[in-house]
Amino acid sequence: MLQNSSLLWATDLVKTYVMGENVVRALDGVSLSIEEGEMVAIRGPSGSGKSTLMNVLGCLDRPTTGQYVLAGEDVGRMNDNQQAYVRNRRIGFVFQTFNLLPRMNAVENVELPLLYAGQRNAKRHAMEALVQVGLGDRSDHLPNQLSGGQKQRVAIARAIVTDPAIVLADEPTGALDTRTGNDILSLFKSLNKQGRTIIIVTHDLKVAEHCQREIYIRDGKIALSDDHVAVPRLPPPLPNRQVTKTHE
Amino acid sequence: MLFWITIKSAMKSLWANKLRSLLAMLGIIIGVGAVIAMLALGAGTQAKVIADLDAMGTNLLMVRPAQRSSQGVMQGTQQNLVVEDALALVELPWVDMVTPVVGGNVQAKYMNHNTYTNLQGTSSLYFTIRNFPIEKGRGFTEEEEERWSRVAVLGPTTATDLFGPNNPLGETIKINGFNYKIIGIMKAKGDQGWYNPDDQIIIPYTTAMKRLFGLTNLREIDIVANEGVDLSAMSGQPQGSMGNQAGASGYYHDVPPGEDTVAGLMRKRHRQQASDPDDVRVMNQADLLARRSQWVTNFRILLGSIAAISLLVGGIGIMNIMLVTVTERTREIGTRKAIGAKGRDILLQFLVEALVMSGLGGALGVLFGVVMALGIPWVPWFSDFAPPLLQAWVMVMAVSVACGVGIFFGLYPAYRASRLDPIEALRYE
Repeated sequence: MLQNSSLLWATDLVKTYVMGENVVRALDGVSLSIEEGEMVAIRGPSGSGKSTLMNVLGCLDRPTTGQYVLAGEDVGRMNDNQQAYVRNRRIGFVFQTFNLLPRMNAVENVELPLLYAGQRNAKRHAMEALVQVGLGDRSDHLPNQLSGGQKQRVAIARAIVTDPAIVLADEPTGALDTRTGNDILSLFKSLNKQGRTIIIVTHDLKVAEHCQREIYIRDGKIALSDDHVAVPRLPPPLPNRQVTKTHE
Repeated sequence: MLFWITIKSAMKSLWANKLRSLLAMLGIIIGVGAVIAMLALGAGTQAKVIADLDAMGTNLLMVRPAQRSSQGVMQGTQQNLVVEDALALVELPWVDMVTPVVGGNVQAKYMNHNTYTNLQGTSSLYFTIRNFPIEKGRGFTEEEEERWSRVAVLGPTTATDLFGPNNPLGETIKINGFNYKIIGIMKAKGDQGWYNPDDQIIIPYTTAMKRLFGLTNLREIDIVANEGVDLSAMSGQPQGSMGNQAGASGYYHDVPPGEDTVAGLMRKRHRQQASDPDDVRVMNQADLLARRSQWVTNFRILLGSIAAISLLVGGIGIMNIMLVTVTERTREIGTRKAIGAKGRDILLQFLVEALVMSGLGGALGVLFGVVMALGIPWVPWFSDFAPPLLQAWVMVMAVSVACGVGIFFGLYPAYRASRLDPIEALRYE
């Protein structure tokens, strides 16, 4: 097992794209670590590389170079199916536009990750998650019968239903008015109090201020790690062979 | 579990685009419908051909006068077959039985019951040759033939027309005004399509020729060959050719047929020159039926091709709509991948959707085909079709083929969906 005790840590992440004749370095040596139970904002202006960082942290993408370890697994070098497994079990996504499936009601949307995980009692777990976000009485509503805030709550229930290591929220208040947005942020904070690790990717300083810590990124580099609560410990670089692969 | 939910969600997505799904399924529906209708009609006709063959007796040759034609213009049937021709045919070594046949339509009357029906004048062998068993009473004897007796055997339909529920045996009816005694009733055979053997009166040919119609020539001579004889060869005319169909004029020979054949013997007896065409037509029942059967086969091949093309077009329709669906639902695919769907989960989802669409199309097609098969005999043009025969295995097969088409044409769109990059898919507007 890994010697580093952080829930999530990344060392010297580099992501390059070839655009025409130019090589764009979307991530230019990002190192960070996030502890279990933290609520962290990743903030940066558009084009800063925060989306790329989120995709890498969310196992939707792989870094060109660098190491990324989540919950003790080196997830940065996995193949598509292994990454899908990690997204299913270890990561809960919350999107700006909710991304609920329109023809499924609330509880069916929430149980979907459990179905892909092949878990039994999916419906019961999904109901529990809906109760947790305060929508136990809306389980049979279709997304278009719900308000924006309610949709985002369903999406959050879908993100936490698999009991993931991290909840990764991409501009979760971006499509909501200020008051509803604050409600959603309060929900994130209360989930965080119950021990959930939450990462919110945003461009909005007001959103970031709700988090204990902010990682500010610009031009593909961490420009500032503003520590609201505790100083993040950057992990010592580890050789790859010490990493144990456990899946597939 | 996931599979059932996948099917359920496929149904939902089809239901959400009802018209589009129906249009996409139309090709499959028509294709499967055509297959079902075609095979039902084909099987029905085949069954009837087999039944007809059994009813006819397969060793039967029928000799009829040819049409007289002058420079290509038909001038009516020749009057050249006589009883002596029939007697000469009996002498051929390969011939088992021969009966002359004359006939016409007559008015039959009993008390105040009238019927206008077909009358056959023939010998007592006719009942054996044509496989018409006597149910009640008896057929006529040779003595009655020789004495031109006024005796008659009735078909069951004719008997009912004249006598209702009463027993006609021993009663006397009037045929064209003269008294005939009923000596027998034939067993019911069922309508044969082109004529109804149950609705006819059979009397001795002598009586019919001399007393009733005043004829010297025959309408037909029926010949039964010995078992194992090559009917086509012994007819002396090429069988199964267009030149031998009803209404055709005589056949011209390059090499005149031998005198042991029907045509050869008739040419000799009628003093035909080598350059003359045959003045008789020799028909082989088995060949006629086989030709009908061939026609059914051609019809099936035609409909089968239509069905195959329709299924192909239907498959392309499904593929087209699946490609549209995949594009429309790119964000959904991205979302599903983000929450943990693997490529094969997405592949399965869209494949199941194509399968449900084609399977449903197949089921509707079966319904359509059954309606079509049952409806076709009601269309006036097709009224002489045999009753359709619906078979369960055909329906199972048709739906399976439709499902196969769905899987085949759904594979590419589903594969494309499964290969979508989740980041691109999530960003898709």
